[in-house]
Amino acid sequence: MAHEHEHDHDHPHAEISVSEMPGYYEVMETAIRELLIDKQLITGNDIRHQIEVLDSRTPALGAKVVARAWVDAAFRERLLADGRAACEELGISFYDDTRLIVLENTETVHNLIVCTLCSCYPRPVLGLPPDWYKLKPYRARAVSEPRIVLAEFGTIIPDDVEVRVSDSTAAVRYLVLPRRPEATDDYSEEQLAALVTRDAMIGVIPVTLGMEN
Amino acid sequence: MSGSEGLVSRLPNDIGGLTAGSIARVEHELEPWEKRCHALADVLDFKKLINTEEKRRGVEALGSDMIGQLAYYERWIVAFANIFFAKGILTPTELAEKMAEVEARHIAGR
Repeated sequence: MAHEHEHDHDHPHAEISVSEMPGYYEVMETAIRELLIDKQLITGNDIRHQIEVLDSRTPALGAKVVARAWVDAAFRERLLADGRAACEELGISFYDDTRLIVLENTETVHNLIVCTLCSCYPRPVLGLPPDWYKLKPYRARAVSEPRIVLAEFGTIIPDDVEVRVSDSTAAVRYLVLPRRPEATDDYSEEQLAALVTRDAMIGVIPVTLGMEN
Repeated sequence: MSGSEGLVSRLPNDIGGLTAGSIARVEHELEPWEKRCHALADVLDFKKLINTEEKRRGVEALGSDMIGQLAYYERWIVAFANIFFAKGILTPTELAEKMAEVEARHIAGR
């Protein structure tokens, strides 16, 4: 039953046995894909290739961008001026037709990103968004009570720091450039990148020491 | 604002600023069909068959009952079907027949 498969769950999926019948929506996906291939509108290779692209995108790419911006002021300027072009400099291709705006956190401004209408997200540099980003509580509340939302993530923003929330669209995506933590002067670029988490680039938490994997 | 006006001023996807519960920090690894569905969405965008905004509106057009009850990629694939019907790229009969064929293949393969 598809309706038992709610989208806000967090359960480990049972092993799928070969005899298990695919669900209604999976059958629909297969049918649509095969019809489009039959009509020569897409190819099976297009789908396989795009699955490989999706698998290649993880927050490690965004972390590399952030670490470079921390160590290279000229890169940081270019990144803030044109996020997409600066990411492409680092060899990160944009497979979709989106603009990337990078939002810099400072002593006086904290940025948070959301997509109130759906689930737009800087996928080329972060991969796919977590489920909570796509669900109602975050989408509804991030724009109206961001400080309370941030507190739920354990992030307390002082009253004298401005909180800016940026609402993504199909064409414009955002990435937060978090603040570099104190006491990291002797860190290499790679060590810095290892500190940068997906959630810090969404803006729900800061980058802190002790987050290394 | 009371009664039906709220339905007019806010379409189902337009939830920014509404009250809502606490954020459950859930995530899951995509199931294989969900990942294929995502790849399909990207390919449809590249090939200018269905772009991201058309997909979003297609989901919105499902109405709040379906949006509430279907999971994320379930909404996408149903929206794709409806958009392809509207564009005359697929017909409902064609899709129904292909779905029956896919199911029959699975039964035969068991």
